[in-house]
Amino acid sequence: MSAPELLVMLPVGVPWLLAVALALLDGRKWWVGAFAVAGLSVSFVSLFALAFEVVGGETVTVVLGGWPEGVGISLRADALGVVFALVSVFVILAAMLYEVFLGVRWSAFPALVLLVAAGLSGLFLTGDAFNFYVFFEISMTASFILTGYREEDYQVRGAFIFAVVNLLGSVIFLIGVASLYTITGSLDMEVIAERTDALETGPVLVVATIIFAAFFLKLGLFPFHFWLPAVYVGSHASVAAILSGALANIGSYGLLRFGADILPRELGIGAVVVMAFGAASIVYGALQAVSRRDASEVMAYSAIGQVGYILVALAIGGPVGYAAAVLYSVVNSLNKGVVFLAAGLRGPLVGAAFAVGAFSIAGVPPAAGFLGKLAVFKAAIEGEGGLVGATLVVLVFVGGAFSFLYSFQIYQRRYLRPGGSSHDPEADADLVKATPGSAPARVLVFALALAILAIGVYPEPLVGACRAAAEAIIGGGP
Amino acid sequence: MNLLSALVVAVIFGSGTFLLLQRDLTRVVVGIILISNAAVLFIISSGLLRGAAPIYPLEGGGLSGEGVADPLVQAMALTALIIGFALAALILVFIYRVYASQGTMDLEEIADSEMRDAQSLDRADDPEREEVPEEKQDGETDDPEEETRARR
Repeated sequence: MSAPELLVMLPVGVPWLLAVALALLDGRKWWVGAFAVAGLSVSFVSLFALAFEVVGGETVTVVLGGWPEGVGISLRADALGVVFALVSVFVILAAMLYEVFLGVRWSAFPALVLLVAAGLSGLFLTGDAFNFYVFFEISMTASFILTGYREEDYQVRGAFIFAVVNLLGSVIFLIGVASLYTITGSLDMEVIAERTDALETGPVLVVATIIFAAFFLKLGLFPFHFWLPAVYVGSHASVAAILSGALANIGSYGLLRFGADILPRELGIGAVVVMAFGAASIVYGALQAVSRRDASEVMAYSAIGQVGYILVALAIGGPVGYAAAVLYSVVNSLNKGVVFLAAGLRGPLVGAAFAVGAFSIAGVPPAAGFLGKLAVFKAAIEGEGGLVGATLVVLVFVGGAFSFLYSFQIYQRRYLRPGGSSHDPEADADLVKATPGSAPARVLVFALALAILAIGVYPEPLVGACRAAAEAIIGGGP
Repeated sequence: MNLLSALVVAVIFGSGTFLLLQRDLTRVVVGIILISNAAVLFIISSGLLRGAAPIYPLEGGGLSGEGVADPLVQAMALTALIIGFALAALILVFIYRVYASQGTMDLEEIADSEMRDAQSLDRADDPEREEVPEEKQDGETDDPEEETRARR
């Protein structure tokens, strides 16, 4: 097995095997958590090395089980999958490290986090539509249980809502995969892409609608958003970071892979609808976020608004639009990771980190969020001329203004209260939960915020990777 | 055959959706199980439609894929069945946990207690109201009620 092939296997295999081993151990011990961090680091490093292999436009394919290509199930890494896997594993690694610093309270926690990571890297690196479903069930199931972490009543309720709604989404997606198999006779993504192109649009359009609806539900887009606030608000900080920073990527990756890569013609037909959903999401998320008081609630509604930008970029399409969608997803998951992790702690360092994350969401220049907003702007102007382009620019601008408003509001409420946090009952409640030895966790959150700033100051590598991902979509599809 | 399987899938999916929208949590779970089984049936029936089964040509085995059932959809159905089974077990654990803490399986009663939780959180959250002693007493009388409900 050559080195690049090994690099495709490691990010999936290492966390998976380690998860099985750690499930037998008591995860509350610090060294078990350290093992989980080590496993995630191996996964992250090998993905990073893999990124250098695929960023030039190559794909690395491994066919499992010794079968010839086209018969066996394949793992296929291209720039799109690797970029998503890299950012998701990064956020999961940060959340795991954060939890180890604060003290893990649940013996199954490290194993579950590793399973989420294994499932996610698997689904980003698979070349098989059914395996995509299996991998996302692995990560979804682990995250259903993680949502109930700490076992407060409202967290278990959140986990139940999350499980029921997402199970419905999974079933709808499964029906979509089965229909793809029915009309094309294959489960391999490349073969499906070739064969759907030769078919009439009618049946393929129905299948595309089913699959898109499933991913809209996963993303928590406006008419499908009803479950999202209940889940994000109740969850513990590190779990919320994993859910919105890593797991939400399934939706945007799925739309890019199945929409832009496999079914581009159908995406083109439905572009207006996708754009309308995106626009409605931006407006709804921004308005709801402005009217909320609690920081995690604001961020939950802001998450609904932020995915709207990804949808708009996706609907614009073309190299610029797809690159903007990838860039926005990456930056958005980093922002959400920092903000949700910072929301669980107190102190000046954390306050600064939260400010960086919040203003990055708003798209204030030195932070990475500015890049995402800029890319969507550029896509709107270049991709859509005339009235549609102008409307989109106005929409993105208004959405940005709202996100600036709510970011500043929560920053003011949480960190600029007269008399400091000791008079804030909510803060006190949180401080009781946080263990005293949380100094490393604060430094970690601050370091993440610095990373966001660094990406904003020196964006070339990320922008280049996103452009490569967009080329992989366009070059890989027919 | 196609019409029959389509009808069966539609009926199962429809009854699953109906149950999913009920107030009782057990019915919601049964609804989810029905819907995931409708998907499994759908996978199996996607092997009925047309064409030869994609069988890897075995040397001298003489299997061409003509006149035999598609093994791939059966493998998919089996996988989906197992995933659905595991998730059904997990969701049953969740509703047991909800039942243990709330003492009810009715969604509206759970929503009521959720509202009470949210209100007591709001009271604790609001610094102006907290200074008013009456409100504080309200908050305190609420708590034992909830604890007894939790114990029940």
